[in-house]
Amino acid sequence: MNLRPGSAAWLLRHEVRMFWYTGFAATKEGVRRGANWRVVGGALAAWLALHGGVFALLRAGGAVSGLAREQFVIVVTAALLATFLFMLSSALKASVETLFDRGDMDLLLSSPLPSSSIFTVKLAGMAFGVAALYLFFLAPFAHVGLFLGQFRWLAIYPVLFAMAVLAVSLAMLLTLAMVRVLGARRTRVVAQIVGALAGALLFLLSQAGNLMSRDDGPGASAMAQVMQAAQSLDTTSALLLPARATLGDAQAVAIVAALGMLAAVLTIRATHGFFVRGLQQASGSVRARTSTAPVRYRFDRGLAALVIVKEWRLVRRDPHLISQVLLQLLYLLPLCFIVFREDAVQLWAVAGGLTMLCGSLSASLSWIILLAEDAPDLLRTAPASAATVTRAKLAAAVIPVFGVVALPLLWLTLRAPLAGALTSATVVGAVLGAALINVWTGRPAKRGEFKNRGQRPMGLVLLELSNLLAWTALASLLPYALEDGPVGILVAGGLGAAAAISLGTVSLAWLLRHRVR
Amino acid sequence: MTNTPALALTGLSKSFGRPAVDGLDLTVARGEFYALLGPNGAGKTTTLRMVAGLLAPDAGRIEVLGIDLAIDPAAAKRRIAYLPDDPMLYGKLKPTEYLEFVAGLWGIDAKAAEPRARELLAWLDLEQHAHELTEGFSRGMKQKLALAGALIHEPELLILDEPLTGLDAGAARQVKDLLLSHVAKGGTVILTTHILEVAERLAQRIGIIQHGRLIAQGTLDELRVATPGATLEDTFLRLTGTV
Repeated sequence: MNLRPGSAAWLLRHEVRMFWYTGFAATKEGVRRGANWRVVGGALAAWLALHGGVFALLRAGGAVSGLAREQFVIVVTAALLATFLFMLSSALKASVETLFDRGDMDLLLSSPLPSSSIFTVKLAGMAFGVAALYLFFLAPFAHVGLFLGQFRWLAIYPVLFAMAVLAVSLAMLLTLAMVRVLGARRTRVVAQIVGALAGALLFLLSQAGNLMSRDDGPGASAMAQVMQAAQSLDTTSALLLPARATLGDAQAVAIVAALGMLAAVLTIRATHGFFVRGLQQASGSVRARTSTAPVRYRFDRGLAALVIVKEWRLVRRDPHLISQVLLQLLYLLPLCFIVFREDAVQLWAVAGGLTMLCGSLSASLSWIILLAEDAPDLLRTAPASAATVTRAKLAAAVIPVFGVVALPLLWLTLRAPLAGALTSATVVGAVLGAALINVWTGRPAKRGEFKNRGQRPMGLVLLELSNLLAWTALASLLPYALEDGPVGILVAGGLGAAAAISLGTVSLAWLLRHRVR
Repeated sequence: MTNTPALALTGLSKSFGRPAVDGLDLTVARGEFYALLGPNGAGKTTTLRMVAGLLAPDAGRIEVLGIDLAIDPAAAKRRIAYLPDDPMLYGKLKPTEYLEFVAGLWGIDAKAAEPRARELLAWLDLEQHAHELTEGFSRGMKQKLALAGALIHEPELLILDEPLTGLDAGAARQVKDLLLSHVAKGGTVILTTHILEVAERLAQRIGIIQHGRLIAQGTLDELRVATPGATLEDTFLRLTGTV
């Protein structure tokens, strides 16, 4: 297809091509060699399997067969609201990346292309990227619905695209507004944290149901009020419009699609000029002002202390990394719901939850500190003992975890001394186990790859996961066994297996230490 | 001991599928400014990385100031500094913090390290940027800070891989002055560069490496003996058969 060079369509084709090269093209020694069929085939196989699952679900009548249409619309509305929150989270991250990581933005902005075309195509690319993930999971409903005679479910496509466009427009407006109000440097930090929190919010909302599911208490009445208000909504209410569109109401589909388009057009018209200024501001965002304050040094620290301080500084000054790591702490909140739900403290939940949280945090921090070293050659050319540096890095990774867990462990120990002592032991085991597995089997990486550290060799991922789950199981079973007196054969077997796996995985990591690198 | 060379390479070889360094013999005297030249892929960086202890040679011997690198790497590393073309910095550290860390890695006494750090930052015009994170630095500022880090322990042998790449005229002049001053104080400098004029003006001896082997070595006049009056560029191109 011959597109006019410099046109928005031509630029869009370039974006799509780059998306393909980044995600699905195979390269060997830097040379592109067609599609990466392993990735494409794997994605297609997973998608087909998803179709099978959806088909089975719909044939079985699904979980919603007993619901009245009004209730079903409310359920779909809740699902769409959750999806939109996730989309907004992804869109915020994408807009920050577009503004600050730039990629080809310098090349595009230095070309004679109109800034409105560049902005339009960037927004379209972001919307496509945001919609793609949700289409992957939800499009099978449309396809299977078509097969079952529900052609109206094809409306999932335009609705999701419209939602993605709306989320991307909103995210870009928010980011640009923050650049204007907070300045480029702070915006990057704030937008990244807000994006991460928006994603986590959904998880917390879903878990709030646990707290509110009791028959009494303020949570239950609040939940009842929300449900009552939702059910009293007129079916023609604008709040239910997206759900009606998703279920195939042609008029609603047209309105939702028009709203998405309108949002995009208004965003482009109103802000493409500021987008360019935002990019210009962002490009100089890292540079700080010079200072005439006196220069102070601290040369009196020993090597280990120096390494620890340096590692903590590097992590502390990377808010995006912190937000990604601390996001895991949010998962502690649902645990609190469980713990305080009953009158008696749920020891097994506290012990297992704390152990899992600490093991997981330790795995993240030890990956960042031990493996994602910014200047590995500097350390290797230095005469300093590599063992001392590694031990100091290990300490830098585990000390913050122990700091986080100290108070909850103290609280637990005061309430139930034996359970507290046992949980302390499993926490130490999980933290050290996760860190040592990284020391012995981890491969050097860059900090920016933190999000994708799950793409390590499957064997190593399983090793780390097995260790974490085994310590968690051990922590949960020990208080359970203590509470119930003499243990049954199942609990005893579980304890034995968990202990064997937790120690076995660390031993295996030690045996693999020279092979993996 | 003072007669021992700053660097002695004997039969040094390294292969990455194909030979990168192939039986290289090279000696650099103490107090010498030595430039190692060669076309792209000739084996210059691989050689320097082996000397810095970043790569293990497949064969051959590396002696740094009389110390066999394979036998006592820590002792050798204590007396050398290596500056690659891509500076080894931490973007989230300030220059002062970076120098504190590097001084700690080399075990420098605090009393000696502080005045040295102040002197280097002042010399390289980085004092007014001492409170900034290095991630905001220009390429030249990063290179200068890395050089300050390399010099903080006053190495006897300074090894630099393309130290002037991307520097503006002012920064390049500062770096060149610093290197000449290092040699004037008795230190040894070995550098690789593609800017032949730098080698021509700074180096006392020049070695030309191709396909991992030393194909010519000597002073500028010694290298030009076959074609009197030729520039180093002419000589380099003739020797490497580039034109």
